[in-house]
Amino acid sequence: MSIEVVEVPPSGASPREHRRWQDDWALSWHGVRTVARLELRQRVRSTRWKIALLVWFVVVGGITMLVTGVFSDEWFGDERAMGRTVFGLVVFFVLFLGLLVAPTLSASAINGDRAAGTLATLQATLLTPAEIVVGKLLAAWAAALAFLAASVPFLVFALLTGELSVAPLLSMLAVLTLVLGVVCAIGLAFSAVASKASGSAVLTYLAVAGLSVMTAILFGLTAPLVTQMEEIRVWETVGQGEWEEGQPPACEWSTHEQPVWHSERTWWLLAANPFVIVADAQPLPDEDQLWMTEDPLSAIQLGVRTARSGPTYEQDWCGYGEYYDADGNLVPYESPVQEPEPSEAEVWPWGLGLYLLFGAGSVVVAVRRLRIPTRSLPRGTRVA
Amino acid sequence: MARTTPANHYGLAMTSDGGGISARGVRRAFGAVQAVADVDLVARPGRVTALVGPNGSGKTTLLLILAGLLTPDAGHVRVAGYDPAIRGREARARTGWMPDVFGTWDSLTAREVLTTVAAAHRMSRSDGAARAAELLDLVHLGDLADQPAHVLSRGQKQRLGLARALVHDPQVLLLDEPASGLDPRSRVDLRVLVRRLAAQGKTILVSSHVLTELDEMADDAVFLSGGRTIESRSVAGAAAERRRWRLTALDPTGLSAWLEQAGMPVVEIDPATEDDAQPGVIVELDDDTAAAALLRDAVTAGVPVVSLAPAGGVLEQAYLSLELAKGEERR
Ligand SMILES: Nc1ncnc2c1ncn2[C@@H]1O[C@H](COP(=O)(O)OP(=O)(O)O)[C@@H](O)[C@H]1O
Ligand SMILES: [Mg+2]
Repeated sequence: MSIEVVEVPPSGASPREHRRWQDDWALSWHGVRTVARLELRQRVRSTRWKIALLVWFVVVGGITMLVTGVFSDEWFGDERAMGRTVFGLVVFFVLFLGLLVAPTLSASAINGDRAAGTLATLQATLLTPAEIVVGKLLAAWAAALAFLAASVPFLVFALLTGELSVAPLLSMLAVLTLVLGVVCAIGLAFSAVASKASGSAVLTYLAVAGLSVMTAILFGLTAPLVTQMEEIRVWETVGQGEWEEGQPPACEWSTHEQPVWHSERTWWLLAANPFVIVADAQPLPDEDQLWMTEDPLSAIQLGVRTARSGPTYEQDWCGYGEYYDADGNLVPYESPVQEPEPSEAEVWPWGLGLYLLFGAGSVVVAVRRLRIPTRSLPRGTRVA
Repeated sequence: MARTTPANHYGLAMTSDGGGISARGVRRAFGAVQAVADVDLVARPGRVTALVGPNGSGKTTLLLILAGLLTPDAGHVRVAGYDPAIRGREARARTGWMPDVFGTWDSLTAREVLTTVAAAHRMSRSDGAARAAELLDLVHLGDLADQPAHVLSRGQKQRLGLARALVHDPQVLLLDEPASGLDPRSRVDLRVLVRRLAAQGKTILVSSHVLTELDEMADDAVFLSGGRTIESRSVAGAAAERRRWRLTALDPTGLSAWLEQAGMPVVEIDPATEDDAQPGVIVELDDDTAAAALLRDAVTAGVPVVSLAPAGGVLEQAYLSLELAKGEERR
């Protein structure tokens, strides 16, 4: 029985070697495409995905029909307002459903592969962790965009009925696309961190819910903190008018001490809300239609822009609308108080910037978790 | 865009240790579990090295470290001339790893699995397609090539896993329990293939807890127990060693009596054949010459011998004797 003599060069013999950063972070199109194609092939061939796409098409179609039925022409008497409402509603629902679907597309991409034993197979090749992550992200994003594409017929329908100009609305779609991409990236990061696919899905939904709902709640909760007693000028009635004789009450200026909400200090909380980002990425409606649009996105945009411009120090408590004078002529009401002006400053670039940071951060987290050789494994998982 | 040569595109010269695998003082723990406690191992180019040990002895963990997927807590590792923890890319370009649990991409066909891995090794599309076709023939999956991989049987998946490890024509092969789930025909194929690859100068490390399957394949063996190397030895030369043989005869009592008389005490009745009509008895013999002599004497003495053969493979015996000697317990 012969015992082999082991000959190994002593560790200190060569100058201390270090890992190279490009082994982890280098990106080649060839590598990214290989991973993305693998992911898409995996997904596209599953019937679940085709069914999901079909359900999506039916739901968005149903919503479009419903909206068109409810808000018929008579409601507005104006084709443009109607088209814009339908468009806004469809985009709103596409965003809403997209925020529900996007996490499922990426939140199991890494820990699912780890559980199936296929992640290590990829890692053991010459693909860098960055290529694996970016490839998976591109695939999930492309799948999310397929859902968006399935809604395009309805968006086009809304555009046509409203005879809307396309260009300004495209910006909204572009921002929607980016927001969905960022949600995919967040899901990917969670799937790299959490050991179970169900765990990362829950975390991603919590993150999305946090951005969509918690930002609005925080905006509301912080209101008392930025509200203070201040003097404002009020245009209010004095005495009783004689309405039967066509005499409205007289109005005059007075000052009041009352709480004033300085929303211009907290509007940025809303900038992190995906609905706000998408809604704000359209140009403000024309002055004459400002308070007429009925779709949720325009309402959100108006709300956040008004919040950004902050309180007005003149208020009209008098306004009674038009009335008939003694001769039966209709007298329009003219208020000396300016209508509150929504701010011209755009909110969406802030939100989108923040989201792109989230997206980049997520990619970095995922890549760091995929570096090999692995030092620490998520609890209860094996490499193979 | 794609490179035609999978390996070597960094153009770095190999270090001077001539390839193969060497590991020294390797340790790795998972929390409180010391999966690999202290492993020394050398596998040389052109030879097949068996990694033998019971379940949980750290074989898979060691192979993961060698494949560059796990960091060792301590120790020194070289694979094909590179440290997988520092020059992982170079090491991976030269290493083919076949995992023990074969996970596969469900909706890809066998051919697509191979072309995908080829692309991931930076091979061009046409090279990848050619290599995939070649390997599918090699592992006899040609007629299932365009079936989704999830319809393959366990043994077929195992063969696909072997093909997958060979895509980039690696110098070093790490095979983790490659024969599990294979039918006898495929086992023979595997053995022939592994021997052929070794003859081409590749370094092959094969893990298994089924020792007989390694017997005819391996040149060297490294025994692991509880995460430690307990022995490294060469498999050849076992014919000249004292080991156990199983002897059966038509008349078992007569056989035992004759053995007693001839001064060759029966070590035990082979437990596997205890209930048979002709239970086998186990004797210890010095070498093959002694076996031949025993057979001749028994026949001459009129004992109706039916068979005389080594009891279990070379590795199995070596392994069991080691366990006995060290008083190791199976985990
Ligand atoms: N990822 C892990 N986390 C925790 N324990 C592990 C992990 N991988 C392996 N082990 C433990 O390490 C030991 C060695 O495992 P393994 O290398 O798979 O053994 P073998 O392949 O020889 O059967 C076992 O006790 C196993 O439970
Ligand atoms: Mg194992």
